[in-house]
This record gives sequence, structure tokens and C-alpha cells, in this order.
Amino acid sequence: MRVSIPHMGNLYIPVKALFERLNVDYVIPPVNNQRTLSLGVKYSPEGLCIPFKLTLGNLIEAAELGADTLLMAGGYGICRLGYYAKIQEQIIRDLGYNCEIVQLGVSEQKLFGLLKIIKRLSNYASWFKIISAFRFGLAKLNALDKIERVVQKIRPVERIKGTANWLFAKAIKAIDKADDYATLKRVQTDYIDQLNQVTKDNQAQPLIVGITGEFYVILEPFSNLDVESELGKLGVEVRRMTFISEWTKFSLFLNPLGVNEKDRIHKAALPYLKRDIGGDGWESVGEKVLHANQYDGLIHLAPFTCMPEITAQNIMPSTKENIPVLTILCDEQIAKLGMLTRLEAFVDLLESRRRKRNNK
Amino acid sequence: MIRIGIPRALLYYQYYPMWRTFFEELGAEVVVSPSTTQVMLASGSSRVVADTCLPVKVFLGHVLSLVGKCDYIFIPAIRSVESRVYNCSKFLGLPDMTRAVIPESPPILDIDIDINKGKRNLYQAIYQLGRHFTWNPFKVRRASLAAWRAHLNYRQLMSSHNLTPPQAIERITGTPEAEANSGYQSSTQATIAIIGHPYLLYDEHINHRFISRLEQAHNSVLTPEMLSAEELQSATARLVGRAYWTYEEEVVGAGDHYLQSGVDGVIGIMTFGCGPDSVMMDMVRRQASKLKTTPFMSLTLEEHTAEAGIVTRLEAFLDMIHRRKRSQVKVCA
Repeated sequence: MRVSIPHMGNLYIPVKALFERLNVDYVIPPVNNQRTLSLGVKYSPEGLCIPFKLTLGNLIEAAELGADTLLMAGGYGICRLGYYAKIQEQIIRDLGYNCEIVQLGVSEQKLFGLLKIIKRLSNYASWFKIISAFRFGLAKLNALDKIERVVQKIRPVERIKGTANWLFAKAIKAIDKADDYATLKRVQTDYIDQLNQVTKDNQAQPLIVGITGEFYVILEPFSNLDVESELGKLGVEVRRMTFISEWTKFSLFLNPLGVNEKDRIHKAALPYLKRDIGGDGWESVGEKVLHANQYDGLIHLAPFTCMPEITAQNIMPSTKENIPVLTILCDEQIAKLGMLTRLEAFVDLLESRRRKRNNK
Repeated sequence: MIRIGIPRALLYYQYYPMWRTFFEELGAEVVVSPSTTQVMLASGSSRVVADTCLPVKVFLGHVLSLVGKCDYIFIPAIRSVESRVYNCSKFLGLPDMTRAVIPESPPILDIDIDINKGKRNLYQAIYQLGRHFTWNPFKVRRASLAAWRAHLNYRQLMSSHNLTPPQAIERITGTPEAEANSGYQSSTQATIAIIGHPYLLYDEHINHRFISRLEQAHNSVLTPEMLSAEELQSATARLVGRAYWTYEEEVVGAGDHYLQSGVDGVIGIMTFGCGPDSVMMDMVRRQASKLKTTPFMSLTLEEHTAEAGIVTRLEAFLDMIHRRKRSQVKVCA
């Protein structure tokens, strides 16, 4: 049995650590690239969204590398994502690979369901081993996201553009290599220090732009053409609430205990959207309302034909809390230059708004 | 008397007799919007972002046509009508979205239908709706029981008499629906099953009179409503296991059933940008190409779909079926 998992941002690093500690035979498909996308687009039904196409591409590339047990998100009550594993399994079988897709129904099975799946994959290792490996995976995830938060702060103010990204790439490699808690801790503090020592433009007062929208396209830079780095180059500080580590923290540990970080966002959305519409639609509306006074603008990322985000996009303009929103629809047709032009225009707009506000 | 507006779009075709009975029992008058026109579609489209799907644009057009003609508009948010199934986001967000994009609309009566939350929750939701008309819970209860009976009658009428929803509604209400199709032809060339959601199959404006065209070409037409609930359920289970979507049976169940029931051809109708259909139609298409017994065509509608395009594809499909039938007859003889 050789296990594999599709990509979503840096998720593969903690997963790799987990599998290595449990001696699972695994393979990580190549990081998202043009071939992944072409494969996904070629074998997908036409009306599906970019997360489907990219994950399908990943799974096909994993199958090419000999994987026969593929992990994929699934389960009831999210959006059509819950249906994807079923179709992807059929597509991969039709291509002649004898693969099984294991659905991670995380929204309903919570932590224990996930651990049970890991137990099966690890050929029934002891619970102690599983939990310690899982904890180490989580530690890597947290380290990655902590560094990324610092990177988001440095990008807009660094003197030499690209330094933060360069350090971030090095940090990802170092975290990937670290194989005990002490090294991990050292790597984390080391890179955060290095990032803080990057020469900065101390005069700069970067605009603050929030990023909201659909989970996958926010977290996978390949699908959104690395919109965060591009904004950084334009001198804009990015804030986002969606991190994989945050999600695991709440969805796996705190939600079952009744703590929900999203209650605040949902409450903000309530006057405009009264109920959960699946996906991240409720959160998108809520974040606009909640952050209207804190941010200069909001970038709303959504896959093309995404059902919840279209509903959210229709509701967003009617909120009383007013803040410029730029919706970027991501699919295989999105072009870098087109997106850059739109980003530049958006940033110009935000700057002139700020000038007007300051002159008053 | 309070006038309740019901847009003739989306779930109208599934539940109209039930809704009408409920509101009339509570002493309200029900106003239904007229059949879809180009003006309605254009006015609906102008309110939303371009990516919104065609049925929702049509729905908003109907809501706009009801503005000023009623005191309330009834738009339920239906999350699930069976245990552990789930509905498209656009149905869930429909009341909120309508409120956001049509600020001038009359107050919207919304009700959350979610079977997963338990019976008690459902009854409370119904009572909340009834509260707009009477404080008396017994009256609401009587109205909802009558509504439920009306719904069962309606389903029964369709499956026992092979009627389409517009025909059944016409029988129940006694008012002729616009351009209801004429039923079976005596000399049929072929039997064609069409699958898809009722709001696409029976809205003659957005599908360019698809059913009448088939019938004019002397084909008899079968629709998902003509199958019993058991047939639909078992076919769905055969193809995908447990249903995921609330209205999965009318696509996947009907598709699989008709593909294996010896009809001459199956046509799937969906719209561009429909999330559930993009996955469900693909399931049926895969099944059709696996079985290789019944020709299958899927048509994707959107507001730019040209009538001539639909006609051409339909003619080509029918030609193919007729040729196939002729060659089969020869082989047998």
C-alpha cells in the first residue's frame, strides 16, 4: 500500500512528517505545476472548479508514481467538494490505475475519525505512536504558519523585494528536514529572527488588505497566482484568517468542545446572510462586515463556478459596512498579467481613498 | 386579505400545490408570477453577477415581476428534505440573496427546512411561517396537514397518470398553464427520456420548448416525475450509493433508470455553472458510456443559448436514434 495526498499549500510537509514517523510507504506528487493543471483539466468534467482540477492532477501524478491509496477531502455538508472523491476515483480507475480513494470526512468525523484513518494507513500502529506522530506533524504545521505570518508582515516593507519569499522558501526546506522538536524550535526562531532583520523601509505605511474567500484557492498559491506575493511587491500588507493550522486547531480540537472561532464572523454576517450556505460563503460575507473598519480593502478569492462564493459575491455589495472588494475568480484561464493589472488598479483606488481620508 | 407571491421558478414545480394549499388554508391569497419571458430573464440577470446560474437569474426575474402585486414573497431556504443529504448553496442563500439584490421586493417570508435538525425544528419552522397569519397553532397544524396531503396527491397524480408538473398543476388548480404539452401521440417514432431538474424541463422559455419540439417530431417523452419514488431511489443507490444532493434522484436516479429501461434515447438538460449538475450529469454520462446500450446527450443551457443551436442538436440526436432503430429492425428481420 502506497499512500498519497493532493497538495494544498504547504500541507505536504506535516503530512510527510506524520507518514515518516509511522513508517508508512508514501509518495508526495510533484508540487502543483503546469502539467498537474493540464492533466486535471483534461480529465475533469468541464463545469468543475479549480480545486477539483488541481487535486485530480495531483492524484493522477501520484498514481503515476505508484500510489494506490489516495487521500482526499470529502464528506457531507460542505459544498460539492463532498462529491469529488467519488468522481475522482472513477476518473482515475477509468485511466487504468487501480487506486482506492480514502475520504477524509473531517467536517463530521472530527479528530477521532481522522486518527482512525491514520491508524488504518499505518497498518495499525499503536495509538501512542500515532498520537506522537500526529503531534509532531501539527508542530511542523504551526511552525510553518507562524513563519508565514511574519513573512506577510515583511513583504510590503522590505527594501529588496523578494527577500522575505526567499527566506520563506529556505525556512520551508529547513522545517521539512527537521526531525525533532528541538531542531524545529531552533529553525522557527532562527528564521523569524532572520526575517525581522531584513532591511526595511521604515517610512512605509503599507495599505492593509484582507484576503477572504474559498479555502483552497486562498491556501494554494499556484491556483491564485501567488496573489499575496504580488500584493507584497505593490507594498500592501496582507491579512488573512485562513491558515491550515488555525483550521486544524478549531475544527479538530476546539469545535467539538463548543468553541467556534467563526461565531464572531457569522454574527457579523447575520443581518445580510442568515444561514450557512456551505463552503466559505458565510465567512466571506462576515469578514467583509467585520473588517470594514480595520482594512483598507478586501480581496475575495473564489474558484470559477463556486456555488457558495457566487452567492456571497451577490450579497456583499449590499452591506452597509462599506469597503472596496475585488473578487478574483481563479480557474485555468486566469492570466498573470490580467490579474496584476487588476491588482494595480485596486491598489491605486485604495491609495486615493486613503489620501482623501487623510486630507479631511 | 394578505397576498402571498410565489415565483414560478425553481422549486415551484415541485411544491406549488403544497404551498398554495398551506397559504389558502390560512386565509391568504396566492399570487403566482406569469410564465418566464425574455424581459423577466433580462431584468433578473441585470441584478446579479454574471457567474450566477440561469435558474437563479430566472427566479429573480419572477420576483421582480411580483413586486407591487403582493404583500409578501415566499422563498424557503431548503437545506435538506431527507436525512443526510445536502442542497446547493444557491437554494440555501436564496432568501438572503434576493433581499440583497432586490431591495424593493416586498418582505420575504423565509423558512429553513432542514430535516437533519430533527422533527421538532421542522415543526417550529412551519409554525414560525404560520405565525404571519394566525397565532393559533392548531390552525397552522391543520393547514400544514392539508398541505402535505395536497403534496402527496400531486405526486400521485403525476406518477399514476404520467403527467408533467405543469399538467398536474393545471388539473389541480383548474387554470390552464401556458403552453402545456399535449400528452402522448398515437404514432410514436421513438421514446425519449429527458432528465434534469423540473425548473429546467418545464420552463418553456429557457429550454426553448424542448418537450413540445420532441412531441411535434412524434416522439413520446418520459420525465423523471413519471417514475415512482422507489424506482428513483433504487436506481440512485445502484449508481452512486447514497444520494448526496437533495434533488439528486431526478438526475442520477432517473438517468440510470432510463438508461437501463429500454428507451430509445436519454437527454440530460443542465445549465452552465450549475454545481450539483456538473457532477451529477457527469455520473450519468459515465454510466451511459459504460453501458453502451442507450444513446445519451447532455444539453447545457444558459441565457445565450440560441434556439437554432438546440434545434440542430436535437435533430441530429433524433436522426441518429431513428437510423439506429431502422438498422435494429433490419437485423431482427
